This record gives sequence, structure tokens and C-alpha cells, in this order.
Amino acid sequence: MQQLLELRGISKWFSGVRVLDGVDFDVRPAEVHALVGENGAGKSTLMNVVSGIVAANAGQMLWEGQPVRLRGPREAQALGITFVHQELALAPQLSAAENIFLGCHPAGRGWVRWREMYGRAQELLEGLGHSIDARRLVADLSLAERQLVEIARALAFRARLIVMDEPTAPLAEQDAEVLFRTIRNLRERGVSVIFISHRLKEVFQVADRVTVLRDGKRVLTTEVAGASVDGLVRAMVGTELSAHVAPQGVAGVVGEEAIRVEGPVRFAVRRGEVVGLAGLAGAGRTELLEWLFGAGTRTGQVFVNGRPVKVRTPLDAIRHGMALVPDDRKAKGLVLGATLHHNIAIASGRGRWFIRAARERHAAGLLLGELRLKASGLDQRVLYLSGGNQQKAVLAKWLYAGARVFLLDEPTRGIDVRSKAEIYDLVRGLASRGAAVLVASSELAELLHLADRIVVLHRGRTAGELARAEATEERIMQLATGGVQ
Amino acid sequence: MSPAALMRRFGPLLGLLALCAALGTLSDHFLTFDNLINVFRQSAVNALLALGQLVVIITAGIDLSVGSILGLCCVMVALLLKAGVPPALAVPAALAIGGALGSVNGLLLTKLHLPHPFIPTLGMMNVARGLALVISGGFPISELPSGFRFWGAGSVGWIPAPVIVVVLFCVVFHVFLTRTTVGRDIYAIGGNPQAALLSGVPVDRRLILVYALSGVTAAAGAIVLAGRMNSGFPLAGMGSELDSIAAVIIGGASFFGGVGTVGGTLVGALIMGVLRNGLNLMNVSAYWQTVVIGVVIVAAVWVDVVRKRSGEKGN
Repeated sequence: MQQLLELRGISKWFSGVRVLDGVDFDVRPAEVHALVGENGAGKSTLMNVVSGIVAANAGQMLWEGQPVRLRGPREAQALGITFVHQELALAPQLSAAENIFLGCHPAGRGWVRWREMYGRAQELLEGLGHSIDARRLVADLSLAERQLVEIARALAFRARLIVMDEPTAPLAEQDAEVLFRTIRNLRERGVSVIFISHRLKEVFQVADRVTVLRDGKRVLTTEVAGASVDGLVRAMVGTELSAHVAPQGVAGVVGEEAIRVEGPVRFAVRRGEVVGLAGLAGAGRTELLEWLFGAGTRTGQVFVNGRPVKVRTPLDAIRHGMALVPDDRKAKGLVLGATLHHNIAIASGRGRWFIRAARERHAAGLLLGELRLKASGLDQRVLYLSGGNQQKAVLAKWLYAGARVFLLDEPTRGIDVRSKAEIYDLVRGLASRGAAVLVASSELAELLHLADRIVVLHRGRTAGELARAEATEERIMQLATGGVQ
Repeated sequence: MSPAALMRRFGPLLGLLALCAALGTLSDHFLTFDNLINVFRQSAVNALLALGQLVVIITAGIDLSVGSILGLCCVMVALLLKAGVPPALAVPAALAIGGALGSVNGLLLTKLHLPHPFIPTLGMMNVARGLALVISGGFPISELPSGFRFWGAGSVGWIPAPVIVVVLFCVVFHVFLTRTTVGRDIYAIGGNPQAALLSGVPVDRRLILVYALSGVTAAAGAIVLAGRMNSGFPLAGMGSELDSIAAVIIGGASFFGGVGTVGGTLVGALIMGVLRNGLNLMNVSAYWQTVVIGVVIVAAVWVDVVRKRSGEKGN
């Protein structure tokens, strides 16, 4: 069978560092091809080569058997290759239809044919199996709906190969399912999809074949039907990761109550305990954590160590020993342009006039080792750290600040498998040293893996609480969707 | 330190040295002691304004009101002196007035949730200038006591007093920005205000302080200028907010916040002073000088952009 796309021996260097090393890769017509690998394995670079954003230093690219040289994303688009970026590239103040046809509005004699544009946009969206009104502003659409607009846009440009870079990372599980239906729909229409993901489960849900990259080399390409999760994990990390496979035991000693919430949401977390917070998108997980941390509005009463407290600002929360690891570490957790030292020290030392640089550097250096945070040094800017190491930098900040109650929001979002296992170890380690940990996650497997108890939210209220022994994905979903306990 | 980081740190300084070397060959008079002292003296007011502007720009803000605050403080300090207030009281009073006006900027920005510092400081730019004209009736207030004129026209040995003032402010601002926890907060706010807030930085309080400091440096500029001119002139400092912004940007700070140093800003102010002085010596008309300054501002930022682009790494 004629391949739609074939790459032969693609290599790429960035300032002397080899990022891709002789990679072979191919996509068949009407195929969903998953691309997996740890952060830094070269997935994004490879896809940038495919979509003409960067030029390879060596190797050949064939499109329908013909050699092609792409000199920019426009040429890729002309062939029928479209990249749906992780950070969606839409204009929020324009309608869905205008975004779909951005740059190629149906027009006659210089005038936009609005009626035709809305009609065609509506057709495209409904063809994908969704009833989004094409006249709505993108700013008013949910993240999942925006992705559909991007995909419709690709189809408007007659895409035959759509590259999706971690499209499910920001989505809740049921939104991801909608996306998978769309991807299958695309395949039925003869469109091929390259699907980058960190969640191996999704590879089995949606892909026909899977390719594993490690350190810029292709390790494996196989039919999904004949692959196993363990096999893929081994290929990605090069060794077995027991922590990823085997769930850990419940933490040792559980102490006194550290924090309790009363109101529409009610639960308590004791010292030495990890409590999970589950719920569908929009159930209010992030809002709850940010309110607890003094950065949101909501009603309810917080008790710290059994005493009622008022937390008006994050500074109040920090004084009560709380720490927030936010869902979006780049937007809310880190000062990306600043050094690791600055980021670790920023939550501490308030109330003192002068910085004690030597003392800070000593303590921060110890934390780097303890957290296995890989960086060239304390003066490295966090911008250049991988996702897992950035998340560790956020944790280091709170460990340095002496936090005792940890509020973790999606702690492993967009993080590769190995770092994920390390973050899990760290979270368990925090609890075993007497910290109280509240983990909110849209990945049920993560909560089942980490938590001693799971509190399920439904529309901003507690829908139920499950002990570790009785918690299953089915029971959690039942509560989260508003079913009876 | 990597070559890129070295260039970032010392690029403006290299530019200044190259400029001085070039002007030295073009004009016999440029590299004389008297002339260089003169350049320092002429750059003092802009350097003071730029220090306050720097702190604001580090927070990704902008202060358009510094020129007008300078004008109002000129008038106020002259009136106080004319009313018989001794310089030892009038000078701190002027600094306090500048700080108060600046903190109003900060309060408007944070408490009224105005969308961008452009708005409150643009308002203050008009209000302060208007008040300066109202209070003075539009006329300069001349003949100030000699004890006060020292700050603008005096000198210690061969060092002009304004230069001493600038050096003192530079040292204090440098220590403040690099060695104190509050200074660190200010860089964090500019880098990512959301992350700073969620790390316990009292963002609003810090912003109010930042604009207050900018008001204080504007008042310091007013004292130096009024001393030098021997007059409180209500139109003093017209357009100097833009000069101060130019000095900060030429000095390597970023409009996006989180980046900028006292050293760079001082060099930026000196580059502008040296350019004006050199062009004067070469008998280039003041009209053309404005054109040259405009080109230098764009070129300085463009060089920075090119440097960053070439330093970017992929993946």
C-alpha cells in the first residue's frame, strides 16, 4: 500500500545537540498513528519537521511516494498537513466560523460572503458530529469545543494529515472521549492523524499503530493490537518502572486532622494522609483548591488544626502552612524567566528585609538532590527545564517554605512517565513525613493510585467519599455524574 | 557566564564605550574632562527619572506621569522655599509630595482595577501638569536660596552635586532590587504576576510601592532641575517621561517585565546624554538630534531582539 507520509533517516541538531537521530517514520492513509516518548525524546521536533516549522539537517521526506522539501508551514498546509497545537492558535474574539476560515474567507470581489461562510462552517462542525453554533465567539467555547474548531479549520483547508500535540492533556476524561469519537470520524473520512500523548491508555483507545521515540531515536513501531502498556513503558524508559505498574500501600501513620472544610463541600485531611479530589470538568476542583488557598471567592468555612481560620490571601494560607501546586504550572506556578533559585525562594523569607543568599542556595541545593531535580544549577532559568523538573521546582518552593498542607492540582499534567512515577513517590513521601496532602486530578487512575480516600465533587458540592478499598473508576464516575451512591 | 548572558549584561556598556570612542575621534573636545563632567551633569535628571521608571518597567508597567510629577514638584518646592521654608525641610517635603503622587498611581491601578498602568499614569500626567500650571499661574518661580541651588548647580571638589545624587540613588536602588526580599518580589511580579500572587507576594502593596518610588525619583529630578535652573518652572519635564522610558529600554530592560538592572539603566541614560552632547559638539541641530535619538531607541531594542532570537533553542 502507498504510504501517505514517509520519513527516512531524519536528523536534527539544535546548537550542537542532536535532538533527532536518523528517525524513520511513516503514516498510512486513513490511519491514527500514536507517537509516544518521554519529554525531550524528540516528539515535538519530529512533528515540527513534518509540518514544515523546522527543517531537518539530514534525511528525506516523502508525501505519497514523492520526495518533498518543506520550506515552511504554508507549504505543508498546501500538501494537506495541519498541526493542531497544544496551545490552541485561535482568535478568541472572532466567531467559530471566522476562525475556521481565517485567512481564506469565502469572498467575492473583496467582500466576505458571510452567509456562505457560516453555512460551510456549520456543515464542517456538524460533519464532525457536534452541534456547536458556528456564530458563537471562540472565547465563549470550552477547551474541548475549541479543539473541534481547530479540527474543522484543518478540514476547511482540506487537510489529509492532522498532527495533534497532546490534545487530551487539558481535557477531562469524558471530553477526551468526545475527541476520540472525532478522531475515529476523521479516519472514516480518509484523514490520517498523528496523535501525541502521555497517556498510554489513550493510545489503546484510539490508535492503529504506535511509534515510541527515546533520546531522539525511534525505538519501536508496532500495531497497537499487538502491544501492551508494559511493553510501551519499557520501550519509552529503557528499563522497567515498578512504581508505574504496582500501586503502593497506604501510608503508615495517620495523625490529627490538619485541615477541614465545611459548607457545600465538606471533607477533612489528616496528617500523613493523601486525599483525592475527583469530579468532572466544571465540578469545581480547581476553584475549591484556589479558594482554600485564599485566591478565589466561595462560601464555606476552613478549619486548620481544628480551629476556624479566615484565609483572605495566599499569604494568609502560607502562614497557615498551606501550599498550592496549581494546575497550570507555567501560568500560575513559576516565574519562567527567573532562575531556579529565585523560584524556590520566592515564597519564603517574607518579613525579612534582606535576602540571605548563601543560606538559601545551600538549602535549595539540598532540595534539588532530594527531589532529583535535574538542572544545570540554581542559576538556570526554569523556562529551560522539562515539565517534570518544573513541577519539582514548584514542590521545592513549598518544601523550602516549610508547608505542611499540600494542595496539588493535576500534579502530573503533561509530565512524562518517569517523572510521573517520581512525583508519585514524592507525594507519598510528603505524607509519610506527616504532611497532609489533597490531590485533585482528572485522571482517575492517578487518584486510585495515590489516595487513601477519594472525595468526589459534583457541581461544586461533595457527592460522596470513598475509602481506598471501596473506590473503583465505576463508583467514582457514578458519583461524579450525579448518580446515587 | 555564557557569551549570550555576557552580551546581555554588558551589551549596553559596550555600546556606550564604542559611542564615546567614535565621538572622541570626531570631536577634539568630546573626551575632555570638563566635557565629560558636563555630560554627567546633563544626564542626571534623566538618570533619576529612569531609575524610578526602571522599577516600574520591571513589573511590566509604565509610568507616563514622571515628567508632570517633576513639573509639579518643581513648582511646589519653589513655593515652599519662597514661603521661607528652609531647604532642609523643603527637599524632604518635595520628595514626599512626589511619593504621594506616585502612590496615587499605584492605588488607582490596584484598587480601581484599571486595566493597564498606562491609564492611571496618563491621567496623572495631565492632572499633575495642570495643577503645576494652576498653582504657579503659568509663571516660573525664580530666585531660589543658594542652599537649595547646591543640589542642581553645586559641586563637591570637582564632582557636581547632581552626579553625587545620582550615584547615591543608584546604589540604594541597586541594593534594593538585588539584595532585598521586596526587590525580589518586584522581579517576580514582572515575570509572572499570577505565580507571584500564588507564592504569597502581596502584589498590590508592592505595585503601590513601585509607583511611589517612581514619584520619589521624579521629585529628586525636580530638586536637581530647579536647583540648576534657579527656578520652579511649571512646564519643566515636558516629554521627559519618554526620555526616561528610552533610557530604561536602551539599558536592556524588557517591556514584558521581570528583566532590568540599575547599571544598564544608568548606561542607557548616559548613552542618551552622550549622544546629545556629541551631536551638539558637532553642531548638529537640535531637530536632527531628536531624529537620531529615535533611531537609537529602535536600534537598541532591535539588537536585543536579534540577540534573543539567535540564542533561542528548539524542541
